[in-house]
Amino acid sequence: MKLLLVTWVDPWVRSVSTVHKYVAAGRRQGHDIAIYGEPNAHLPALPFTTELDGVDLAVFVMQVAADFPDMPYLARVLDGIPRQRRLVIDLWGRFNDTIRLEHDFNHLQKMDGHAGWEWEEAFQAVSDTILQPTLAPLRPNVGSFLFHGWDPGSVAKPYRDARQAAAAWGGKAYGAAYVGSNWQRWEQVRRFLEGYAPARERVGPVCLAGWDWSARPPWAAAMGIMGIDTDPTLLARLGVEAHDGVRFDEVVGLLGRARFAPVIHRPLFRHLGFVTNRTFETFYADSLPVLMLPRDFVAAIYGEAALTLVPGDSIAAYLDDALSRPAVYWDAVLQTRSHLERHHSYAQRLQQLEALAAGGAGAGGAP
Amino acid sequence: MKVLLVMKHRGDAGNTHAVANYMRLAPRFGHSVAIFGAPIWYVPELQFSTDIRSFDRVVYIYESELYRIERMNEAVILAKFPRQHRLIMDTDGMYNPVVVVDGYDFNHASEAERARWIAHLDALGGRIMQTTMAPPLDPRVQAMAFYGYNPALQMPPSASPAKQFDILHVGHNWWRWREVARDLLPAFEEIRAEVGRIGFIGLWWDAPPPEGPTAGPEEAFRSDPERFRRLNIETPRAVLYHDVIHTMSTARINIMTQRPVLRRLKHLTLKYFEIFCADTIPLLMLDADHAEAVYGPAGRELSLPGAVARKLLDALRRPDHYRAVVEDVRRHLVANFSYDRRVEELFAVLQD
Repeated sequence: MKLLLVTWVDPWVRSVSTVHKYVAAGRRQGHDIAIYGEPNAHLPALPFTTELDGVDLAVFVMQVAADFPDMPYLARVLDGIPRQRRLVIDLWGRFNDTIRLEHDFNHLQKMDGHAGWEWEEAFQAVSDTILQPTLAPLRPNVGSFLFHGWDPGSVAKPYRDARQAAAAWGGKAYGAAYVGSNWQRWEQVRRFLEGYAPARERVGPVCLAGWDWSARPPWAAAMGIMGIDTDPTLLARLGVEAHDGVRFDEVVGLLGRARFAPVIHRPLFRHLGFVTNRTFETFYADSLPVLMLPRDFVAAIYGEAALTLVPGDSIAAYLDDALSRPAVYWDAVLQTRSHLERHHSYAQRLQQLEALAAGGAGAGGAP
Repeated sequence: MKVLLVMKHRGDAGNTHAVANYMRLAPRFGHSVAIFGAPIWYVPELQFSTDIRSFDRVVYIYESELYRIERMNEAVILAKFPRQHRLIMDTDGMYNPVVVVDGYDFNHASEAERARWIAHLDALGGRIMQTTMAPPLDPRVQAMAFYGYNPALQMPPSASPAKQFDILHVGHNWWRWREVARDLLPAFEEIRAEVGRIGFIGLWWDAPPPEGPTAGPEEAFRSDPERFRRLNIETPRAVLYHDVIHTMSTARINIMTQRPVLRRLKHLTLKYFEIFCADTIPLLMLDADHAEAVYGPAGRELSLPGAVARKLLDALRRPDHYRAVVEDVRRHLVANFSYDRRVEELFAVLQD
């Protein structure tokens, strides 16, 4: 299959890691996968192309408006690849009615200049097949395709068993690390930090790596955009280290420098049941994931074993228990990794896309 | 047929007035025209729409800027209109080789910039039309006048405003200065004592755009306000498109200049026709052959190059003679450049 990914890749943000996984998985399975556009010197491992001949499926991976190619590439791809060989993966829930949750949103004109109807028209212009990374899209004309997936080869330290993992689990610089920008996550991060505080002396310091954790950015204040709040006093009191973001290829290594790695989804994605790159990527790290996610979502995506990784009401008690019985938690991690390999491998994702390509993706089919 | 125009729209510049004529006349032929975008409060007569899917054809009108709409909107337009339903109107000769006139005005600053334009327009596809009187340089391009003369807009002397100026130039200072400084100002100096008020109405005669180099090459906006001051030349504010003819009518003589590269390429502009709607004597910075090609034989007498001072004084002294010449030109324009014909031509091309 010749697969063209149409999206804007940036080494620091969004789905660049997943895109790399598709390229690698495609190579292993004999698929020809490339990103539409000119080569990007910052991403040497990604093949870029502007050649459109023979493309079996053009997958428009949409998050922000800039994921639509600029001209003249936009016209070439829309004119060059028939509609039935195009589909849209709506990673940020744009193809829904307008949703407001806490401070989060799927459309906000003052933020990016686009109203909800523009997103809808633009996606429908590309294809009849619109997929979202959730098991249960809200709209009947949207298909489910999780897009992000699991690559067993990316596990930083693939342990033989839980005992080995637990024995190796030590000597970490941080008690917990969260890698991700301060975008609609502050409330959840704050709850995590406040719950973490009683155990901090035993677990270790927290590291937040991402943009805008140290201070609310001036542009957000100027535009009246909420959900990028922070509390420098709280961070100082808890001794939290706030760092700028890291490149996609440094995320797993950084998470592995901490005992625990919380998985946090922004309110919009929790509401929509969306998975993200970090949903899976956190399990590559040599760290115990703390799943700050709804239990039914955890069971559905990660499998029953992962419920062990969901803290109860007391995060501190949960962390203390993990410190005292690490093998129990590592066993859950290894079982979850196994579940992810069985159910969410990129090989399976590619099979789904292959089926869509064979069936004429643009005809509105869903996997 | 519903036609959507994608263009940079400003009330005080560009092709807005021409488009207003298409909007006005299209219903007479069973068609309608709207500009893509949200309405502008100060030009309520212009029709705008963002309902892309309700249109049948799209016309991209380009000037010297590779105007872009948002990518998401562009995607909808591209998906809605197949290439054969897209028409490109190249009003500033951008779909050409690099053309530089006397090391001054140019259509492209570099081959790289030209390549960017060509790639963009080729990707849009459809048909490319240039608003030129000459055979287009590129065989893939067709000529189309696009601009026209609307006799209904002619200002009758009885309704004309009082004459405030003897000489007026209405238009922005965009690649005009060299010609103004070389040909017009020396003539004004020669006859200044015999002439009343002189005005240059438009943008950038006093200063370049405040946005700086992003607005365009510095040379394009060059001016010499001190020289204007010495000649007692006034520079009133620019006017909206619907006030152009009225404003021109406040002067006995209006001078028409054209940026050099467009004159070289024999491009028509809106000003070619607007100026003959005004109650004024148009005098043209076009050579006599060029003037005749557009305006008919009478146009030769309105040609200024080589005789600016003499012609200005002559027109001020013999207005009746020149008014008769202007009437001849108007008859020629009605016969050859009416907007009815333009509208028919455009829709015929779009229908193909």
